[in-house]
Amino acid sequence: MNKTQWTPTGEVSGAGLGLRSNHYQHILDSKPDVPWFELLSDNYMSGGGLPIARAEAIRDLYPVTLHGVGMSLGSIDPLNLEYMKRLKLLVDRLEPVYVSDHIAWVSVDGKYTHDLLPLPYTLESKQVVVDRISQAQELLGRQILVENPSSYLAFNFSDMDEQVFLTEVVAESGCGILLDVNNVYVSSMNHGFSAEAYLMGLPKERVKEIHLAGYEQKGSYLFDTHGHRVHQPVWELYQKTLELFGAVPTLVEWDTDVPEFEVLQGEAQKAQFYLDKAR
Amino acid sequence: MGMSLKELQRSFYNSVFRKNKKNDVELNESVEPAMDLESDQLVNIYRESILGGLTEALVQIYPVCAKLVGEVFFSNMVVGYMREYPSGSPDLADYGYDFSNYVATFEPAMELVYLADVATLEWGWHRAFNAEDVSSSEVSALASLTEVPENKQGDICFVLTPSGYLLRSAYPVHKIWNINQTDFAVEKEGDDCVNLNEGPVNLIVWRNSEFGMRIDVLSDDEYVFLEAISEGKSFAEIATLSCAPKLSELLGRCMQTGLLVGFNLTQRNV
Repeated sequence: MNKTQWTPTGEVSGAGLGLRSNHYQHILDSKPDVPWFELLSDNYMSGGGLPIARAEAIRDLYPVTLHGVGMSLGSIDPLNLEYMKRLKLLVDRLEPVYVSDHIAWVSVDGKYTHDLLPLPYTLESKQVVVDRISQAQELLGRQILVENPSSYLAFNFSDMDEQVFLTEVVAESGCGILLDVNNVYVSSMNHGFSAEAYLMGLPKERVKEIHLAGYEQKGSYLFDTHGHRVHQPVWELYQKTLELFGAVPTLVEWDTDVPEFEVLQGEAQKAQFYLDKAR
Repeated sequence: MGMSLKELQRSFYNSVFRKNKKNDVELNESVEPAMDLESDQLVNIYRESILGGLTEALVQIYPVCAKLVGEVFFSNMVVGYMREYPSGSPDLADYGYDFSNYVATFEPAMELVYLADVATLEWGWHRAFNAEDVSSSEVSALASLTEVPENKQGDICFVLTPSGYLLRSAYPVHKIWNINQTDFAVEKEGDDCVNLNEGPVNLIVWRNSEFGMRIDVLSDDEYVFLEAISEGKSFAEIATLSCAPKLSELLGRCMQTGLLVGFNLTQRNV
């Protein structure tokens, strides 16, 4: 079990939006009614220039969370301490309510793919992920959240299902869950498991944040592109998620072919409608 | 008993970046065929995602290079780069720093003699855009220069703005860069022509205090002066260089533009 019990650093509520660079000016000029923004930590790691200045200006107006892909929590490599140092500086500067990364590996032997790669769900992988999360939390001095991945392949020597793996990782490291409902849907369709059974296997009290995004049908499988509106089956799964976990703060992500801000806001308002119903 | 995590991750990585796209037998045997796809086709989903993501990142950093050679050519060029030059940092913004070295040796692009230097310029822009802000705590303000006693003046090390990126090219790459910007407009006849034989240029790419990005042409003296400063040379050392006769003029100008942001005093070796 984890030695440290991390206490939350703050709270966000309602349906927030992922902050994207083409919306900075609009947000600063018109101060739209959005409860919170999530910033991609990897866009601000250099610590200087216009991006971080704008992020700070937005942080002065809204609560923010930080979401990244660089920790490589499932890699056999040790945590990259230089990256963690830069992330800590960013956390100190932006004071996010949550800091999150993924159940995935990104690098091996110090070589980075900058993509979220699948893990076999084995005892060995679990120990690696628990160790990395525990160390990351010690270095940042706070709890982190980990997100369930979208996956396109499964290893035949996995010892457990993903939701069991995630539940045990969370219990042993003391981290929280960033539940990506779109990812659950994509993986359930790709691998043929029950999305509802997956959700029911997770520890309710550890689900701190939800992500929603759009996927793309690519031939025989679904691919998580973050380039579309949230699809109807995902909205339906989202409602079931809220029934199970309550009105968990929810974030709409859009990363490719990012549309006008109002389109994103419309998606967040739809999520807010379901959140209000779940209260 | 399946592969160890170390074996799996190495095998997966090698498979993604290998030229023949052939997976290890053991990796293939560890991946469950699914979604009407064989094991190697499933790994290929990740291969395409990784290579596509890295290509997109390089297009963002090197838009002029991509425009000069065209999308397909650029994509083919970066595949070789990605295989030979792995990313060594979790920060994607660090990836691509040695791209110009690869371009310089990329046989199919040899005719574009200026391409590698355009890449260097674009990397400079990328670094300057993202560079740390000027920190007032680490350097003495230029306003306090007058307080340095005369016998210590030779020990002054001026500090270049953290965004300053110096480069030299045998070709007018700043002009090539400029006419390939999306907002470029021809104001007078010939603006959109570049004479490759007009001689070498010295440039500095940097960001001013209002986040304004600049590419400034430097004289030989200015380049030597700023290069020495960027290398941490003291004022006494700079006074021995070819720019020495113009030192006071150079100093005044660089302080005024904001290229110099402060100074430190070094301990002179006795």
